[in-house]
Amino acid sequence: MAHKKNRNVAIIGIGQTKHSSHREDVNQPEMIHEAVSAALKDANISIKDVDCIVHGNMELFEMIHQPDLWHVLGTGAYGKDSIRITTGGTVGTTLACASDNLVASGMYDIVMAIGFEKLQEGHTTGGITNMADPLWFRNLQTGALTGSTAYDVIQEFGEDRAKRAAMMYRIIMDKHACLNPNAHRAFGLDFDQVETLMNTSPKLVGELRLIHMCSQSDGACAVIFASEKKAKELSKKPVWIRDHITIHREETFNIFGYHKDYPVLKTHKFAAEQLFKRNDIKNPLEYFDVFEMYDPAAWWGLDWLRDFFFLKGDEHLRLVENKEIMIGGSMPINPSGGVIASNPIGATALLRVAEAALQVRGDAGAHQIPKEVKHALASGFGGTMWTVLMMLEKELSW
Amino acid sequence: MEYWGVKVEDIFDTMNDRFRPEGAKGVTAKFGYDITGEGKWKIIVSEGLLEVIKTDDISDCVAVMACDGETFVGINIGKVDAANAFTSGKVKIEGDFGQFGKTARMFKKYVPKKAAMSTRDYILDMFGTLVSRFQPQNAPEEAVIVYDIGGADGGVWTAYIKDGKCELKEERAEKFTVKLEVQDAKDWVDVMLGKVDAFSLLSAGKAAIVGQTQLALKLGEIFAKYQDPMASGTPEQELIVLKKIISVDQKFSTGPVMGKFLNALKEKKILGNKCPKCGRIQLPAREVCAVCRVRVDEWVEVGPKGQVRYMEYVYYASPDPLTGETRETPYGMANILLDGCTGNDTFAHLIRRDQIDRIKGGKDDVSGTRVRPVWNEHRTGSIFDIKYFEIDE
Amino acid sequence: MQKRIAICAVAQIKNDPNLWYARFQNMLLECFEGIMSQANVSFDMEKGIRTVITCSDDVWDARTISDNGMTDVVGAHFRGEEKMAQESLNGLGYAMASILSGHDDVVLYMGHMKESQPESRNMCTNLAFDPFYCRPLGMDFVNVNAMQARVYMEKSGVTEEHLAKIVVRSRQKAKENPFARENEPINEDDVMKSPLLADPLRQLHYYPTTDWAFGMLLCNEERVKEFTDKPVWITGYASCMDSYFLGDKDLTSNFSLKNATERALKKAGIKNVTKDIQLFELCDHAAYQLPMWAEGIGLAKEGKGGKWIDDGGMDEFNVNMSGGMLNGNPLLLGGAARAIECFYQLRGEAGKRQVKGAKRALAQSTYGAAGQHQAVVIFEV
Repeated sequence: MAHKKNRNVAIIGIGQTKHSSHREDVNQPEMIHEAVSAALKDANISIKDVDCIVHGNMELFEMIHQPDLWHVLGTGAYGKDSIRITTGGTVGTTLACASDNLVASGMYDIVMAIGFEKLQEGHTTGGITNMADPLWFRNLQTGALTGSTAYDVIQEFGEDRAKRAAMMYRIIMDKHACLNPNAHRAFGLDFDQVETLMNTSPKLVGELRLIHMCSQSDGACAVIFASEKKAKELSKKPVWIRDHITIHREETFNIFGYHKDYPVLKTHKFAAEQLFKRNDIKNPLEYFDVFEMYDPAAWWGLDWLRDFFFLKGDEHLRLVENKEIMIGGSMPINPSGGVIASNPIGATALLRVAEAALQVRGDAGAHQIPKEVKHALASGFGGTMWTVLMMLEKELSW
Repeated sequence: MEYWGVKVEDIFDTMNDRFRPEGAKGVTAKFGYDITGEGKWKIIVSEGLLEVIKTDDISDCVAVMACDGETFVGINIGKVDAANAFTSGKVKIEGDFGQFGKTARMFKKYVPKKAAMSTRDYILDMFGTLVSRFQPQNAPEEAVIVYDIGGADGGVWTAYIKDGKCELKEERAEKFTVKLEVQDAKDWVDVMLGKVDAFSLLSAGKAAIVGQTQLALKLGEIFAKYQDPMASGTPEQELIVLKKIISVDQKFSTGPVMGKFLNALKEKKILGNKCPKCGRIQLPAREVCAVCRVRVDEWVEVGPKGQVRYMEYVYYASPDPLTGETRETPYGMANILLDGCTGNDTFAHLIRRDQIDRIKGGKDDVSGTRVRPVWNEHRTGSIFDIKYFEIDE
Repeated sequence: MQKRIAICAVAQIKNDPNLWYARFQNMLLECFEGIMSQANVSFDMEKGIRTVITCSDDVWDARTISDNGMTDVVGAHFRGEEKMAQESLNGLGYAMASILSGHDDVVLYMGHMKESQPESRNMCTNLAFDPFYCRPLGMDFVNVNAMQARVYMEKSGVTEEHLAKIVVRSRQKAKENPFARENEPINEDDVMKSPLLADPLRQLHYYPTTDWAFGMLLCNEERVKEFTDKPVWITGYASCMDSYFLGDKDLTSNFSLKNATERALKKAGIKNVTKDIQLFELCDHAAYQLPMWAEGIGLAKEGKGGKWIDDGGMDEFNVNMSGGMLNGNPLLLGGAARAIECFYQLRGEAGKRQVKGAKRALAQSTYGAAGQHQAVVIFEV
């Protein structure tokens, strides 16, 4: 069984900037232009070949209203169809889903998705807190910072094991980031620092410590999508989009009852169940070769493995403890270093798709995983626990 | 040890000069610095005054920063990214993290000293570069300008301008268009470096203009500005960062549902609304039950007491986006199951700050800490009609 | 020619100068219930609405991720939701892509905007400019549109009298539209004497501050019978972006509109715009834009906008029977309002303003200053 699709779509070009906390050397359109040029060069096409530009970010982070108007100086949208579509932290994956839809529909043959953010040009936690209702929760919320997942994992597995596993996850991500020249933060952490870091890194909220949390980065990513016919003409290594799913949830965080009679439905799990069911994938851990996950914090990355892969008991902890999520492991997670290493929010989720596609092509360079990648998964996260998942394939054979 | 030519002592020794009392407003605290292999320092901030002491006793400090000398110097001169050093554990802050953060605003940036140029060096450099700074398009067709700079470092020079060219000779011309007389060479250096206004020299009688005053006033255009060779070099690109605060006043409507909920707070009542399908009670009240996709019309009064199910213990001093004010830390934001509610129908609000260490969350049938609202005396129909919840004891 | 999608149902509230008593959730809920009562549609993961497209804006709502507050009232809990963060007409184009891709059979499209919420519309649109050059110069959509008005009126012989005629006609048509904003009755003299906003634009030349919300149900051709007996088809959509700096473009060239129109018509398989299309809904944020966009689409000859009005072009081609944007729709939602008028007209449900025998309609919308971004959608029954 496969999800029906009007026609097949492939990724044929990928470009990104170096992600950094300091890009005062470029303005927004100039930074975008770096990613756009890189993607066109990667696809070996010119901007003339692109039919439509899809643009996305969070307006209030930089306080530019409808920034695609100004950014046309860097996006190449002049004279072209151009749309702007957003969702939140998930926006990057939404751009990829939208581009897939636009090409699959037959309306456009080649579409370029552009995600960007210059987080140094605003206040990120303040910006995220602005998401909450101005009459109510905006007065209480602390952006995307929460200690609740740390609390849950500690409750379930005991303080020492939970804290060690989260820090292991963090250090593995840093080891990956050290292999990725575009990563914003690559500290060179080592496993012998688990003990020190889990006790001394400054606390943000509960057991969520500074070292666990993602960065605030400047950066842009551009990905080019093409119809099957065009992709086969233009690309030696097209990466096929198999399917995608978006799952949102309500505005209020009414998930803190902690009563066994009132279980909380989780979006990541629900999205994975729906997506894998309609694509007839019974064991995602076995099926996928690599997963680029939107992991804004180490505790989340650790906990969500269970939701995405339908793991039971402490299987997700063991995957981390046994370093199976490392580049050479059985299920490499975020060979790029993930979101903890680089987080230009509007680009972040598109980078997950881009990095997963690079893995499928075998073009990830120093952070390429050693085994062949036939099936890759990418996720986006944002809003009030929203999920987007996208499946990528090496062969058109599902 | 020196790092990038700077010693750890240099940073501390200049702290008094770099101190900004306006940045230390309202801060009374002692901060410690433990610099591996270099020693320990303590700074005492009180009522806009600063004292810096090198001492091994930093035990009474509210917060202590620990790192190695290279990192410390690097952060102070901008060679090491402070946030990265901090996140990776190269810098540790023990004690009150929020308080320590305030030190960032107390000091002007440290600027490394360079080997100084003497007044004589400057005078020679200024006249040495005068011809190259000549701007013929701004100059009169013909003029003779005499510079008579007094003092041991001074001398006499004459600039001859004719037909778009300028020639400088170390001599005193008898016939001139204008003559500048400066008593002390150091004053002239200060004027050229922009430290002193030429008019203040003139009015203080430390300098005089003989001849055509008009021409003297145009010297700034006839010769391009003198660049201080000791100032940091011209940047490769002229990068400017524009800082702006953007605000647009808003009128947020409550609508009837949120309006009723907020109005009830004025009467010290907490009203939830109940889904006709699944029966959950929504706090704050909302127009629909998002799960059942139906309009919610039934109102129920709940609480006001309840039990904490989970509390966020927040150390990060985030800004309140509605006011821009940084919240005092640590604080507790709790999810409270008010009496009359079940399951996940919790109500989010703040906990009295001095009680947050005593709060325990509930699990299954075990109750969390019991709490009650503390109402504001002046209630306006806002979320802060409840100041916070406190332990019900 | 590509495949088409259907609009099955439409719901809206009345355009209002200041819905002070409602928050946007209240406005949207009315529309949501309106759609649900018209079409027998569910949120079943297999057969129902899996994807909701919304339209709103972070700056205008003063909320990061403005769609977050919409989730509850548009039924998107544990379903997909994607925000068209652009002019609303483009949301129909994106819905078309979602459906024609095969990804969705049914899509719910909902949008809101409260222009009465921020203190100043111009402060919001000033933020659409770069912070270094245009923003400090004080550019906003009104004063930049005024520059375009000046050169366009010069080029096309459009006079103050023409503009007055356009405004008065807009108000007359709107009187016959039950969802239109209620405005004071005015005559041409009132228009010509109204205060200048930015020369030559006068207050009555510009659309007034408006709050509004809408919903639409869209589906594919295969399943249309499940939801309606009277579908209106969307057969073509295209958009186009012009360059940013005013000095980089000819303000009267209609570059982006001409491109968008040409591409949309091609997709819909239409050769002759004036013969094959019987109804036109244009986003005239300001009165001068009505003849200008008419030129761009090909209803009026290039540079002859003034004569076109004298010759009765607005009535001949059934332009803005709804009253148009000029009578009052919120900035971002002008396109949705145009599309909804096309829907009613093609279904024969436009009451007193009904155009007889209309089979095809065109809706146009624009965003940015001086028509930088343009979109066109073609409808058919």
